[in-house]
Amino acid sequence: MVLGVRAARKQATRDRVLAVARELFQDVGYEETTIRMVAKGAGVSVGSVFTTFSGKAEILSQVMDDRLDTLYAELDRVIPHLRGPTVDRLRSVMAVHYGFEMRRPRMFLAYIGASFAWSPGKVIPVGRNARLQGMLRDILVAGVESQEVRPDADQQTFIDVMLASYFWNYRLASQQGLDAEALIAVMDRQIGLLFDGVAAR
Amino acid sequence: MNQMPTRPFTTGPAPLTRRALAKQQTRQRLLAAAKQLVTERGYEAATVRDIAAAADLSTGAVFASFSDKAELFNEVIIADYAALLERMNSVAAGENSTHATLRKLLALAYEFHAGELPLVQAVIGFSWQRDAAIERRNREGVTLILARLSEVLRGGVESGELAPTLDIDLIAEMLWDSYVANYRRAIFDGWDLEALGDRIANQIDVLLDGYQNAA
Repeated sequence: MVLGVRAARKQATRDRVLAVARELFQDVGYEETTIRMVAKGAGVSVGSVFTTFSGKAEILSQVMDDRLDTLYAELDRVIPHLRGPTVDRLRSVMAVHYGFEMRRPRMFLAYIGASFAWSPGKVIPVGRNARLQGMLRDILVAGVESQEVRPDADQQTFIDVMLASYFWNYRLASQQGLDAEALIAVMDRQIGLLFDGVAAR
Repeated sequence: MNQMPTRPFTTGPAPLTRRALAKQQTRQRLLAAAKQLVTERGYEAATVRDIAAAADLSTGAVFASFSDKAELFNEVIIADYAALLERMNSVAAGENSTHATLRKLLALAYEFHAGELPLVQAVIGFSWQRDAAIERRNREGVTLILARLSEVLRGGVESGELAPTLDIDLIAEMLWDSYVANYRRAIFDGWDLEALGDRIANQIDVLLDGYQNAA
């Protein structure tokens, strides 16, 4: 389908706004970035930003949604090659996440923080990413088949606890300046500890 | 002959001067007003001007006590953690397992904040966005609670209920991570105290499962 001139222009504005916002959120900070700054950087009026987005929170949400394509492409490359024990496969999936998100840590931290302020129903809260949950569940199910994981283990709670710690570890990046490698090391310990609870005995 | 002085030595903190007392009262009033306004409107919408007005003080009085809104709100949070710890300490343990004690303490924490979810929402959002100095001070509040949870876990290891290989501080942190993450369910999905309590109980199970010694 060919877009009309008008629709094409609207799409181009939208893309520019998102690209500019992504840079500002990381370089200047989410709180500090204003719609006016985004409009100026994208070479459009403040009014035209608001015809496309309801506000800054929606722009952040869209920027974060868009990043998922790149993240999943990366995971799709890695996952088929995962070998070794179940616990290490889980660690690898989470390590890919830290490696990816820590390329723009400031933006990601703002995203987690802002997700608590968003009104219900508007945005999917962080941590309910069905695809990530599905990936982890597949690994656990395979672990049951290979008799590494107890068949009666509470897989959903395991995943919930793991993801809660996964997100909360980003605090260490903001408070103590930990980098991706250091966060991966913390998560490796946490996954090891959690896995002790579901491991076949 | 000289009389020995009969006045006994004063013990305890010296009485506050009138000025210091007034300053402390101002501070308390601002903390209470900030807490109330943030609970009603959220952090961003509660302006320093409105907080001062609600406390019946001038905007200048706010800045005489706190360097900015972030510091003021951070002190609200810390006072809140201290009050929560006091509540936790006032319940006699009386439970017959580490699991039950942890569940009781965390259920108590959910109950403690039940009427002020918007405040919790603001606190969590706030904790991701501030500078390192504020963040460290904020951490002091959480550390009080983490120490309490670690103490319970340590008791479990000492009584032989839990394996000595258990990494106490790591589990306490992870327990807290899950505890906080569950607030999303209360905020976005309207979960009640019972649902939160059941969920944290399952999470405690999973966290301790690998370290439970056979009874």
